[in-house]
Amino acid sequence: MIPRPVRAVCAALAVILLAVNAPISITGQLLAYQQGYVFFTTGDGFRVAPTVRILDDRTKQPAKEAPAPRIYARATFDASGTVVELDLSHRPLPVEPLPADVQQFAVVASTPFPNPELIPKASDNAAPSGMDVGVSGKIVLVTITVQVPPSTPFGSQIFITTDASGWNPQAIAMDRIDALHFRITRHIASGTILHYLYTRGSLQTEERAENGLDRKPRLLRVSDADVRLVDDVVYAWADQSGGTQLPQPNTLPTPYNPAPFPNLPPGLPTPNPR
Amino acid sequence: MRLLLHVRQRSILIALMLASVLFAPVVARADAVAPSLVVHLRADHIEFYYDRYLIEADGHVRVRMSDGTTVTGDAFSMDLKLNRFLIASHVHLQSSGGNLDGAAIADFLDFRRIYFVPVLAKPDRWTYENGDYRRPIKGREMPGDTFYFPDLSHATPQLSAKSATIGAKSYVRFGDVTSYVFHVPVPLPSYYVYFGTNQDLAQNSLSGANLDLTWNATGSNNTISAVHLRHDTQNGNYLAFEQHFAGAHEYAVVSVNPATRLGKFWNMNAGDRIGNRLQLNVFEQYYTEQHLFGRQHAAASYTFLDLNQALPHSYLQAVIQQTYYNLIGKGSPAIPNHPIQLHIYGSSFNNRIFKTPFYEQIHWGIGFNHDTSTGYHNVTGLQTYGGYTYTTIWDHLLGYTVYLPNFKFGNRDNPYKTFYFNATLSAQRQWFSVPHHTNSATTNLSVSRQFSRDISAYVAYNVTNTGDYYNHGGYTPYAPTDASGNPDYGFLAFRGAATLRTATLGINYSANPDFTASLTFDRHKDFPAAVPGVFPLPPTNNIGQYLYTNYLGQPPYDITGNVRARLLPHLMIDVQRTYFFNFGTEKWSPQFLVQCTQ
Repeated sequence: MIPRPVRAVCAALAVILLAVNAPISITGQLLAYQQGYVFFTTGDGFRVAPTVRILDDRTKQPAKEAPAPRIYARATFDASGTVVELDLSHRPLPVEPLPADVQQFAVVASTPFPNPELIPKASDNAAPSGMDVGVSGKIVLVTITVQVPPSTPFGSQIFITTDASGWNPQAIAMDRIDALHFRITRHIASGTILHYLYTRGSLQTEERAENGLDRKPRLLRVSDADVRLVDDVVYAWADQSGGTQLPQPNTLPTPYNPAPFPNLPPGLPTPNPR
Repeated sequence: MRLLLHVRQRSILIALMLASVLFAPVVARADAVAPSLVVHLRADHIEFYYDRYLIEADGHVRVRMSDGTTVTGDAFSMDLKLNRFLIASHVHLQSSGGNLDGAAIADFLDFRRIYFVPVLAKPDRWTYENGDYRRPIKGREMPGDTFYFPDLSHATPQLSAKSATIGAKSYVRFGDVTSYVFHVPVPLPSYYVYFGTNQDLAQNSLSGANLDLTWNATGSNNTISAVHLRHDTQNGNYLAFEQHFAGAHEYAVVSVNPATRLGKFWNMNAGDRIGNRLQLNVFEQYYTEQHLFGRQHAAASYTFLDLNQALPHSYLQAVIQQTYYNLIGKGSPAIPNHPIQLHIYGSSFNNRIFKTPFYEQIHWGIGFNHDTSTGYHNVTGLQTYGGYTYTTIWDHLLGYTVYLPNFKFGNRDNPYKTFYFNATLSAQRQWFSVPHHTNSATTNLSVSRQFSRDISAYVAYNVTNTGDYYNHGGYTPYAPTDASGNPDYGFLAFRGAATLRTATLGINYSANPDFTASLTFDRHKDFPAAVPGVFPLPPTNNIGQYLYTNYLGQPPYDITGNVRARLLPHLMIDVQRTYFFNFGTEKWSPQFLVQCTQ
């Protein structure tokens, strides 16, 4: 009878020995399979053995389809760095940077050298394209609060229209928090660049700049932070001038109404001198 | 009569021609914002993920760029917002640098960098800079995610197609499309999507609808042609057509809506920003009653022109309105009025009053109203007063606003114990050449507080005073009948002055950004007092909403509940309904207000 501690040590040694001799394998997503090479989405190409086994990753039976872009795969290498087995999967497998011992197997004709454009600079908050660099894409809690003009009708709803919604004037509805302020909170990925404007539900009731003209869309760049607070002020609405409500150019208007009360009881005598 | 008709039609034609001349620069100057690059894509199967602005294509992928470069491969992936694309597997590149085969190519359009994995004797890594295919930079390190496909394991495409024309950072136009409307495949010859930042291309000239299924049939960086299948409570189901034009500083939208109903509105909405300080907006409407394009039984037109001039610390606004109620002539039952209104308004910026927390704004206006036709209620002109008919009424107004935003009090070190006080006072007087003037004043007060991360509340008090005062006489005592047919003697005291008072308690609950709920309780105490059946309800728009929210005869109590919840990653649903506490026949608002937002 072998004592239990000895059995445990033997088992551990067996695992280590097996691991030492275990073939090297990686997982990733296929980019191409052609001309005797398999390429992963890391851009790395590996030589494929002429007798490579193409298996289904789940059943380990020969795969019914050929390797193709987008399919996930587990590549197993022999000691010379040639892929001898490729297990295909439509279920996502981890896509990770290549470990150093696999990186040496990647076949590349030219000697790699660093790209100075990829070194982040302090001034590179935003590339010329407008895309933020150096942001992780983490989810940021963004709270937007807007102060509306005092002339805003009290029953109004306020919306945000954005380029991400095709400028739908009712894309994001806001909540009234007091007589002059509305607020909304959203989860937005860092790196997002949002162009937006405020509306009262239509493009005819969109915000105007302080000088009464159309204003350029506001710009929000979401950086890597846990929380982002945005405070905006709307100075005017397109359907108002100063405090005056302009006529609504939506349907044919009713004829001139001399009374400022739009819904007086029928039959009320019109004003007359006494 | 026929001659008159021709003259009127000719004047409309002239007006339309003038409008087209006025807005000709829309098309001419549109080239200024033409996309720098257009990508033409063909493949066996193209899918578009609208919520993520991704285009994925597989099978016999062929891409032709506007610089003549052609790339073929097995798979294509493009992130429209990041403005970069990838072609993978059996890639063949045909460019000014010659013909090359490779495993993958990625084009970062914004950065003008092309990353290529050629497969010659061995695979390699080449970078092309600024579209120069003749001088590859061999071996240079590439960005880590250059050849990554997006994870689409939980994504559903919104349409599939056989071809796509992609204007960089602007639009995509699909061909041979199958669109999925509530998961039902709908074949379409084409579909256009705009994702650029030119908001003018989203301007519209259609009225509201309860449901609008839009088929953007075709378009470019400057145009969209759209067919709308719509439903609203007034017109039922119908079709509408809309054509958009937009340039860097101008836009024009023309539409016919509802196109398949007897009464049709032919609208044009246009605007032009002339320099940095001047802006013109025009809304032109032509109303006809006709079967398809048959003989018109009635026709009317309406013009709304709005000219804005920015001034130092203030601005001017000229508004012109003109309505032809009857373009057909005496054969039409329509009223023949033809009122014209011209107003010029001036407004200051919002100014802080010294170093106090108060702000103020002043506005003024002068107006001209004119109508000589006999029509509405068989009345000639605009208003009859004292036996004299006014065909022209001049008016001028002066108004000011003082407000106090976000005055904090309470424990200002603790955000959950800080109170915010907001106050607004607006007043305006408008004088008319008919001997009367109107005063209007609005007072808003509110106190709000965030009680916890989830809950905030506010109380508000709103008073609106409106008075219409004649120099001699004016409104006379009158007792209208209520819903039961009994006289409303409370109305006898009305002499042209009304006061609407509203006290509001609002509570917001926001568990997280994907679920919010709010409850708003209103108490109205008005003069003249609301009595069921006395005051007509405000007119409604096409989707059944009142055109204005503060009016005489509002039920004294109402409570509104609103729940907003996220259904899908890119879709929130907003459900709202109001209860009126059995005021007359009003119990609940006529229907749930359901809105889909993002």
